[in-house]
Amino acid sequence: MAEPSHIPHEFTACPDCDLLLQTAQSDHTLEGRCPRCKAVLWHAAKHTDTVSFAAAISGLILFYPAMTLPILKLKMVGQHGSNSLLGGIYRMWVEQEQILAVLIMLCSLLAPLLHLLLTAVVCFSVRFNHYPSHFPLWIKYKCWMQSWNMLEVYAMGIIVAYVKMMHDGEVTVSAGTYCLSGLLLCVILCSQYFHEEQAWQHWEKNKPA
Amino acid sequence: MSISAQQRGIARCTECGKLSHLPDLGHKTTAACPRCNTELSFRKPQSLQRSWAYTIAATALMIPANILPILTVISFGQGDPDTIMSGVVKLWVADLQAIAVIVFIASIAVPVLKLLILVILMLVVQWQLPLSRQQCTILYRFIHFIGRWSMLDLFMISILVTLVHLGNIATVESGPAATAFAAVVVLTLFAANSFDPRLIWDLDND
Repeated sequence: MAEPSHIPHEFTACPDCDLLLQTAQSDHTLEGRCPRCKAVLWHAAKHTDTVSFAAAISGLILFYPAMTLPILKLKMVGQHGSNSLLGGIYRMWVEQEQILAVLIMLCSLLAPLLHLLLTAVVCFSVRFNHYPSHFPLWIKYKCWMQSWNMLEVYAMGIIVAYVKMMHDGEVTVSAGTYCLSGLLLCVILCSQYFHEEQAWQHWEKNKPA
Repeated sequence: MSISAQQRGIARCTECGKLSHLPDLGHKTTAACPRCNTELSFRKPQSLQRSWAYTIAATALMIPANILPILTVISFGQGDPDTIMSGVVKLWVADLQAIAVIVFIASIAVPVLKLLILVILMLVVQWQLPLSRQQCTILYRFIHFIGRWSMLDLFMISILVTLVHLGNIATVESGPAATAFAAVVVLTLFAANSFDPRLIWDLDND
């Protein structure tokens, strides 16, 4: 292992075009962009960990009802049908579509759950200044889970399914949809307000030797 | 004159964004980011090879995904299997144009556009084509943003299969194209993730 040497904080490299830049963070601008390719280099942080912590906790509370309550209900010739997110995954598994079932479970159940859970844990650690030794791994997994979290696409899928079945039977929106909308709002707040660079800097300053 | 971090021997960590001086390493030594312990490199390792592999695999799987049936709606014992395209046409004919457009964009336009843009970007790097670097970077950000929306069709299938499960009256069954389409979506996501946009800008630095 070679040991890389230290570089002063005011230098940054653009993630998209590798331009070496000197950053001057002023209080007047909300975000800084790369002058060459316009990538966002940094954005201002204000009360961010409070908002993302609150959103993560609210999301975790909404998680169980959003997964298990029926999303849509269908009435056709006296017969009733309904679906929940968990039920959808189970049915795909039963109907010999195991690969699809696993992919849908990752994108609509596991990734949102772990995203919220890891955000809550990271915010908690920053807030109480207590850093476990696996802290960097948690931030890394959080970013990975965030990129696989596709709840907003699932919400669009509900709308498409609703419109598709509208003419064949009586479709009604059920309690699960409202919980899922709330969960989606929490997930969006959680990813918008989480300040990754700040979490990394806290870790760098306070990491156990 | 703009100078890239690589020209100064500085590498940016892919995970945490910290800059570090990366010394000239021998073949078997690696350097780790001092902040998050991720392996450091100037560019994503084997970026072009990996992107090409994923893109070619995804292009091949586009054929079964579009030819085989993806969904069968059976009501009162009868129903024809639908491919992706025939599903869109049925929605359009049933006066649901808005939904037809959304499904068309998510399951046909996005995967095709994504593969096309990936091939263009990789050719720009490989053959040093004189396309605008800014516009190439915009294309790269576009495929990153749009890629996940192809999952729409798969989520919709999972919802419909569960919702319409009424025994003899009506059932919805998924077809073999669903798995192929899922593979296309995942492979294009991997392809976009393994492509390094900094390679485009490196062409100007040499």
